[in-house]
Amino acid sequence: MIELIHLEKKYENATPLKDVNAVINDGDVISVIGPSGTGKSTLIRCINLLERPTGGKILLDGEEISAPSYPAEKARRKMGMVFQSFNLFGHLTVIENLMVPQVDILKRSKQEAYDTGVRLLNRVGLAGRELRYPDQLSGGQKQRVAIARTLAMDPEVILLDEPTSALDPTMVGEVQSVIRDLTGTGKTMMIVTHEMNFARAICNRVFYMDQGGIYEDGSPEQIFDNPQGELTKRFIKKLKIQEFDIDSTEFDFAAANAEIDKYCLQNDVPPRTKYRIRLAFEELVQQLLIPVLKRTAVHVTVEYSPVEKQATVTASYGGERFDPAEGGNELSYNVLKSSVEDLSYEYDLNEEKSNIVNLVIKESKYM
Amino acid sequence: MKLTKGRHLTACIAASVMVLFLALLLAGCGLQSKTITSPDQLNDPGVTIGVVTDTSDGMVVEKEFPKANIEYFRGEMNGFVSVSQGKIDAFVFSKITMNAAIRAGLKGVKILDEPVGEPNRGAVVISDAAKIPGLEDKVNEFIDEIKADGTLDDMKERWIVNADETMPDIKLPETSDIHLVVGTTGTNVPFTYYKGTELAGYDIELAYRFASWLGATIEFKVYDYDGIIAASDNGEIDCIFADFFITPERAEAVSFSQPTSIEEVGIMVRDGASAGTADSIRNSFERTFIRENRWKLFVSGIVTTLVITSLSVLLGTFLGFFVYMLCRKGNRFANKIAAFCIWLIQGMPVVVLLMIMYYVVFSGSGLSGASVSIIGFTLIFAAEVFNMLKGGTGAVDIGQTEAAYSLGYTDLEAFFRIVLPQAMPHFMPGYKAQITALMKATAVVGYLAVQDLTKMGDLVRSRTYEAFFPLIAVAIIYFILAAILKRIVGRIEIKVDPRQRPAGEILKGIEKHD
Repeated sequence: MIELIHLEKKYENATPLKDVNAVINDGDVISVIGPSGTGKSTLIRCINLLERPTGGKILLDGEEISAPSYPAEKARRKMGMVFQSFNLFGHLTVIENLMVPQVDILKRSKQEAYDTGVRLLNRVGLAGRELRYPDQLSGGQKQRVAIARTLAMDPEVILLDEPTSALDPTMVGEVQSVIRDLTGTGKTMMIVTHEMNFARAICNRVFYMDQGGIYEDGSPEQIFDNPQGELTKRFIKKLKIQEFDIDSTEFDFAAANAEIDKYCLQNDVPPRTKYRIRLAFEELVQQLLIPVLKRTAVHVTVEYSPVEKQATVTASYGGERFDPAEGGNELSYNVLKSSVEDLSYEYDLNEEKSNIVNLVIKESKYM
Repeated sequence: MKLTKGRHLTACIAASVMVLFLALLLAGCGLQSKTITSPDQLNDPGVTIGVVTDTSDGMVVEKEFPKANIEYFRGEMNGFVSVSQGKIDAFVFSKITMNAAIRAGLKGVKILDEPVGEPNRGAVVISDAAKIPGLEDKVNEFIDEIKADGTLDDMKERWIVNADETMPDIKLPETSDIHLVVGTTGTNVPFTYYKGTELAGYDIELAYRFASWLGATIEFKVYDYDGIIAASDNGEIDCIFADFFITPERAEAVSFSQPTSIEEVGIMVRDGASAGTADSIRNSFERTFIRENRWKLFVSGIVTTLVITSLSVLLGTFLGFFVYMLCRKGNRFANKIAAFCIWLIQGMPVVVLLMIMYYVVFSGSGLSGASVSIIGFTLIFAAEVFNMLKGGTGAVDIGQTEAAYSLGYTDLEAFFRIVLPQAMPHFMPGYKAQITALMKATAVVGYLAVQDLTKMGDLVRSRTYEAFFPLIAVAIIYFILAAILKRIVGRIEIKVDPRQRPAGEILKGIEKHD
């Protein structure tokens, strides 16, 4: 059991953790989510004492590990840590990365360490790679070795600091499935992540961090479907709907594309659908609306529904009635029409932005 | 070693550069200068006359030949060779020494019959810090006695007139309360020079006779011209027996005995007739290495150079490592001190650092020149090791340390088990280069009365009056030593790189179950 009591971490220019209080029970699997810069990584690095808290206490099984006199290595031996950048020991082979710490710290025999190592490599699907060096592995394989190395030390608690953030999107899945497999072992886990669906699928508790503390602590159902706090609500809504306000031809479409990519990643949108969303967004806004509307503000929302397996792109704008089907760039309109499953236009004088274009992109069954 | 294409090319370039270098050297020997037959020709702005720094010869030349250019030399030997190679037109020095040089085989020079100026008076220099009380009076009393009984004349007859190089057997006590430490230069025939591996000469015999007269045991220390006065000033030696000429300037700084030799000053000029052909390599080799077992001098020089180099490398590595460990965690105090020391050590020429340590810091400590050299080079090497460690460990990602911490390693364990093995391959190439650089830098220890390879080369050169062969021989020996050191460190370099381990060793002794 880990207790965080009025935990504070102050740097010269910033205070990522102002007052953090929580009790982490044995067997809890906790996802830590929140906007960037809210101290998620700092929190788990503090728990592992890689960062020394500047105030408050951390109790591990009742012992105050944050006390300056408490030997950090003793606390860390009960906790494993998986890093965003893997941090495999570059001068050692895969099997040595697993064996050496066991021999050095747990004083196991080499044979015992080897047996444990091979068993764990099998478990993370890397049997036969024992004598490779880390730089001969892909990112996903490195992270799986890192997880196996952590497991080899038999930690009571496993801390994962954005374990898939540094990975190529194609490798996220393999690492996620290894982590998912871990949650079945009953070990206490704490994972900082941006992949919300993954977070929701594996955890029994979510910490939403904001304003220097744990702003909301609840079950995944509560946080994702029925958030209580104002900031949580805003964060979750933003996760589900991507919004843009475009008011000139100088709008940064490259940045907008990157935002769409990030949104798609967080919401598990399949790659093909992602490209179709980007194409539709570009054709509709950049080719059809902006050249005609000039400085009239266009509000665009992108939303993906995993249940219906479809994405909706809506553009709304004020001013006079303008239907892109009539008077817009004909070629772009045809491209757009053929690339989406449904395209509709409405004109509603009761709304402030009276023109509404709605696109629906459905996941093709051929995917 | 296999000659790959790239290596072959490098070897070719290296060989061409060497050939070019030698060609230039030989071209330098052939410089044409005026043929001088009488002193009157010397008073001319187109003439260059060489003299030894810190003698009264310079003043004589200025007075007698006001129009000529003067070039100063440290030690007469380089001046003689310059005349023979035509680099300068004439050299003014004591006739006895110049005659000895010609007897020893110096080619292409002759001595004009007419002397210049007043004769030089050679004498014993007595240190003001000598440990034997009343030493100056004793030296003078001794000289009076041997003058009176004819011993001094006999010595002059043998060493100077007849050029008889036999050192008489002089009885010295086995042990004594009085211990005489004599400084000498060892490069001035027939006064003080190496005959084989032993010191010999007029002044050396004089020193032995004086020690015997005193009932003292004797110890010789050999210095460069630049170091010997300083050594006398701070009491490293009791007196100097090296045919030092009495000049008004010197007399202000040191105490001279009454003269032990009166020497006419002569002029050495180039002599085309006696130049003949250059010595064959075989001849030079014989004179440099074989005659009088001079190879033994080289061997002892090599041993000294290697001992100083290897001890400095070992101690410097430990010291640099130790200081790095103190500074590693960013302790501001330790870092400031280390930075200051490194700034101090690296901020001045090696030779200045060594001289300061020998003549100021450790003066009167009784430490030998070799010990002080080792301490000095240890500091220099430690500074390098410190910087290399800083750079090498800095190149290892901080994530490696964090991962080690998170697995339960303590700070020191993480450093030794994880960080250091990865830093080693980063700094080993630099380390290797620094060892060779250090070995070459040790060539200055002659200033501290240490007879290393370079100094031994100088001693032999002062006997053979050849610039070319001993210098090239010394250079080649340095190349060979550097290659051997590089080989040894190269082995270590491979050993410490975890990535170079044979795959079979990694899982040695482990039972696999596939």
